Amino acid sequence: MKYYGGCDVGSTYTKAVILDETGKIAASTIQRSKINAAQSSRLAMDACVSQVPGLTSPEDLSYIVGTGYGRNRVPFAAENVSEISCHAMGVHVTDPTVQAIIDIGGQDVKGIAVAPDGTVKNFAMNDKCAAGTGRFYEAMARSFEMTLEEFSTLSLKAKSAIPITAQCTVFAESEVITLVGEGKAPEEIAAGIQMAVAKRCFVMAKKAGAVNHITLTGGCAKNAGLKKAIEKVLKIKVVELSTDPQLMGALGAAEFARRKGAAK
Amino acid sequence: MKDLKYRIFFEELLTDVKNELVDRALDDGKLALGYSCYYVPEVLLNLDGCFSVRMRAPGIADTAIATYYMSEKTCTYSRSLLERAIEGGFNFLSALISTETCGMMHRSHEHFEMLHLVSDVNDRFFVSHIDSPFVTKDYAVKHYERQLQKHVLDKLSDVYGVDTSEEKLLRAIEKHNEVCRVVTAIGDLRKQENPPITGYEFHLIELVSECCPQDLILPYLKETLEELQTRQPDETPWYRVRVVLGGGENDDPAFTKMIEDAGAFVVADRYCFGSLPGREEITVREGETALGAIARHYIDTNQCPRFMNPEKVQGRKQYLKQLADDYHADGLIVQQMKFCEYWEYERMYCQQVMEPDYGLPCMGIEKEYVNVSTGQLRTRFQAFVEALEIKKLQKKEG
Repeated sequence: MKYYGGCDVGSTYTKAVILDETGKIAASTIQRSKINAAQSSRLAMDACVSQVPGLTSPEDLSYIVGTGYGRNRVPFAAENVSEISCHAMGVHVTDPTVQAIIDIGGQDVKGIAVAPDGTVKNFAMNDKCAAGTGRFYEAMARSFEMTLEEFSTLSLKAKSAIPITAQCTVFAESEVITLVGEGKAPEEIAAGIQMAVAKRCFVMAKKAGAVNHITLTGGCAKNAGLKKAIEKVLKIKVVELSTDPQLMGALGAAEFARRKGAAK
Repeated sequence: MKDLKYRIFFEELLTDVKNELVDRALDDGKLALGYSCYYVPEVLLNLDGCFSVRMRAPGIADTAIATYYMSEKTCTYSRSLLERAIEGGFNFLSALISTETCGMMHRSHEHFEMLHLVSDVNDRFFVSHIDSPFVTKDYAVKHYERQLQKHVLDKLSDVYGVDTSEEKLLRAIEKHNEVCRVVTAIGDLRKQENPPITGYEFHLIELVSECCPQDLILPYLKETLEELQTRQPDETPWYRVRVVLGGGENDDPAFTKMIEDAGAFVVADRYCFGSLPGREEITVREGETALGAIARHYIDTNQCPRFMNPEKVQGRKQYLKQLADDYHADGLIVQQMKFCEYWEYERMYCQQVMEPDYGLPCMGIEKEYVNVSTGQLRTRFQAFVEALEIKKLQKKEG
């Protein structure tokens, strides 16, 4: 059996997926990124390889594609593909009915329109600041002295949302601290934060041309409060993926590896 | 490909506006005349005894003081020029020829006067503002010609005694055209399927031709043309797709390099500081004065979105499409500096119409004068390259 690997070195988490030659996921992992992208990819790929009997190192894989911000530094990758194309491909092989993606990663938000064959039809990306990204959520959760999961759960309890006006992560954090200090209900502040991020996602999705059959990918896709807020602003139900949405970039990279490796 | 003989030299010339060749011209007693927009005819600043310097602020670290004067809701190019001036980086200029093309640049240049920049060290230094037309009618060209006479030629003559006679203007046109011929011959090499030049190298060449004294840079340009005519490209083209780079201000070759590192060969440079337009020869028609020909030329060739008459608005899109055809481009990247009042709209417009109406896939980029978030930009370029590649394949497969 031949195996193919995809390694998505993100700014916050590194993800790796191994596919067998039929396209079935043989192994996957999600690990916190190190400062060194090469080291992150090595650790993630080693962890993945250890899950597949008969494989001892990434070099045993027939073809590997790197993606994510550290894609150029994956030492064992035969080539790299942008995370935009990889997310589109990963989602396509998971659910071919999906027509658009909102990818909320550690340092940016992307809207991606997917063609019926899994290629990118159009995309839009915020790349000016961390507002609305994983980093932003980490800062917000820190303000509440909570984990991201606890923060998400808290926001779901709100009956209404307090609007957060600041766009910048730093100012939003101080706005939250002020609101907490004023004695406002924490769950309503948390819901306000989710709504503020959801609005940014709305803009990215619309800029990319997303209309229907939209799904969420990236680490923040697991944030149930955000999902609820996005469904509210987009006025649709987002498509649930059968595979962990945080793995979509790595899965897409592995699928590219499988196709390219088979064509070799 | 073997490295260009003068690549490193050109790169070094671009690290500072007051470079080695500028210093040499200043030592010869020539007047350095700064400008920052295509509406200021470069040719007029190259009369005998003068040389033009298109103003840049390479390596600017921050614009804190300029932001205090101009606010942060202004483009970082206009702020960077002011900051560099405050740092003393333009103290070698004899004059700054400005144009009321956009409010931000106007404000930047006004501050040269209000803060007595440069004039502190050169009491004859002046800033002169041209009122540029928004339309292309004959009366507008006439108005522009009068502005050029009053705010450029008369000022240079009055303050520095520069000879602005018809004979000298014709001589300046001749000299200007020679630079244009050489740069255009180099630029045309980009039309080849496997060209002996990269977009980055051409960007360097075009920039040095605008930022260095013409007399002094011309021999290097000519030698580079000769070198390129016999330069052997690698057997297989290095690029994955070919793109036209359009948009507003762009004097950063690293930006072009970033696009090319993602696999897109920048075949045509339709942006401020580019050669399309910029390096077309000026022709003096029968019965026309040299200044009249210059005014007409710069209005006719101008591709600035400041022109809102329908012929120009449509003409700009057709020009981009024509460039894509002539240079065999697969797509178009339109870049715009944040807060650019003209290109912001034009960029959005291009993104909406270029693919459906002209069959040219288009990506828009909003950037800063100094680009720090290069990781995200690289991702965008690479994704665009991948999308263009797939479109090419699908086209091939029918």
